[in-house]
Amino acid sequence: MHIQQLKLKNYRNYGDLDLSFDDKVNLIIGENAQGKTNLMEAIYVLAFSKSHRTPREKELIQWEQEYAKIEGRITKRNQNFPLEIIISTKGKKAKLNRIEQKRLSDYIGALNVVMFAPEDLTLVKGPPQIRRRFIDMELGQIQPRYIYHLGQYQKVLKQRNHLLKQMQRNVKTDPTMLNVLTDQLIEHAATLLERRFVFLELLRKWARPIHHGISRELEELEIKYHATIEVSEDANKEKIETIYLSKFNEIQEKEIERGTTLIGPHRDDLIFFVNNKDVQTFGSQGQQRTTALSIKLAEIDLIYNEVGEYPILLLDDVLSELDDYRQSHLLNTIQGKVQTFVSTTSVDGINHETLKKAELFRVNSGTVVT
Amino acid sequence: MYYPEPISKLVDSFTKLPGIGPKTAVRLAFFVINMKDDDVLEFANSLVNAKRELTHCSVCGHITDQDPCSICQDDTRNQSVICVVQDPKDVIAMEKMKEFNGKYHVLHGAISPMDGIGPEDINVPDLLNRLKDEEVEELILATNPNIEGEATAMYISRLVKPSGIRTTRIAHGLPVGGDLEYADEVTLSKALEGRRDL
Repeated sequence: MHIQQLKLKNYRNYGDLDLSFDDKVNLIIGENAQGKTNLMEAIYVLAFSKSHRTPREKELIQWEQEYAKIEGRITKRNQNFPLEIIISTKGKKAKLNRIEQKRLSDYIGALNVVMFAPEDLTLVKGPPQIRRRFIDMELGQIQPRYIYHLGQYQKVLKQRNHLLKQMQRNVKTDPTMLNVLTDQLIEHAATLLERRFVFLELLRKWARPIHHGISRELEELEIKYHATIEVSEDANKEKIETIYLSKFNEIQEKEIERGTTLIGPHRDDLIFFVNNKDVQTFGSQGQQRTTALSIKLAEIDLIYNEVGEYPILLLDDVLSELDDYRQSHLLNTIQGKVQTFVSTTSVDGINHETLKKAELFRVNSGTVVT
Repeated sequence: MYYPEPISKLVDSFTKLPGIGPKTAVRLAFFVINMKDDDVLEFANSLVNAKRELTHCSVCGHITDQDPCSICQDDTRNQSVICVVQDPKDVIAMEKMKEFNGKYHVLHGAISPMDGIGPEDINVPDLLNRLKDEEVEELILATNPNIEGEATAMYISRLVKPSGIRTTRIAHGLPVGGDLEYADEVTLSKALEGRRDL
């Protein structure tokens, strides 16, 4: 799939922008603080309906404007359709084929995007929520139903935490209501966990050979899912539910004492191993980078296999972060098949065929010249 | 705004109604000024009377102008089935159907710890008392099919189950007369879960 055309209206530092893209590589060049990342972010928002940089959507609206609009024309399986995101002070609208989609899960997945930005290097060394967010976003875009279950899970979790707080302060003492919410929580938790296990198996399958290649065949990557319950990854939903139930029964008193839900997918984590060593703790900077890069590149193949089309790749200012060998590995992978957006301050020193053929866009304080 | 006080008061009152913003409120207020005196009086009376004469039925909690309500007083209805709903409007929806011949119980809400609403804040204690006093064989739980409605139904069924009263939950799935292809995924999978033998 690829984006043919992108229109921005009152988006960050862009007042009015209308660009047509090459279906191979698009190189976005400009000094710092001119709007390169804003352009990348706009494509990301078009795919996920939220920004990777900020949870506060009003920031996306240009200063003193009422609304921001992102419009894209997408080609997918020889079909051509428009996507639209409108963010106003009142809220957000997502339109697919000009029709508003009320449910996020009906919109996400129409456009698949893989983004690799400097902050993605923290995927390995950062806090667990970054890795949970990674699973949720990536799983969500290939399996929109996952987003529905995630939303339901978070709602029940909120209700349950409120009840636990009330029970902690002895405002409520009735265990029946807690049991009801526990059952509701378990149902969605088990669905999430089951789907995460399947996704993880796919991720391993694609990431291992890539990591092997980037590391000049010196390193073996292993990814482990760290759950808050003891469960094997081939367990089915019923089995997972049984394990959750007995664990929740076991820790009920402790949960009331602490006033919050102590186990569940919202507390799980991923652990990356290189040659049997935990990369987060024992890996070098280089190994952490290689791991993050392998995972991101694996997603391209993973999405191709699940969706039937290559996603759009956004490389925001990362080329400079990678050494020559990793750079050329990255550029070789995308060659010719993936529509890619590369942003950088300068192309000096990057001598790769893929970039020489690229379409050039020069960004200068909110205007773009081709 | 430079409206004479009676108008601005009227505008304020209209704004309190659901779905009415400031502009509509102004339009309605000016419309009222041009209405016939009798119509305005009747309108005002209807408002006051609706509020004054309607109460909640002491048995089922439905809105009524006589206590107990006409449904609770009706001896021809099936006394052994109670349908539990969240809102008086749900009773009216069920009654329009003309298929259900049992009685009702209106909860006036759903359990939601987040909003500080527990079982005792909605009409649950009254329901439990009713089940003790009346000869009830089946409780149909017709709360809304969202998280709070579902939790409320599960909660009530747990309290009632030990007494041996049959508790059922209304089905959710495809709307009748709709097309399968237009159903959203979530509804479709719920419909599949609730399939039955033919």
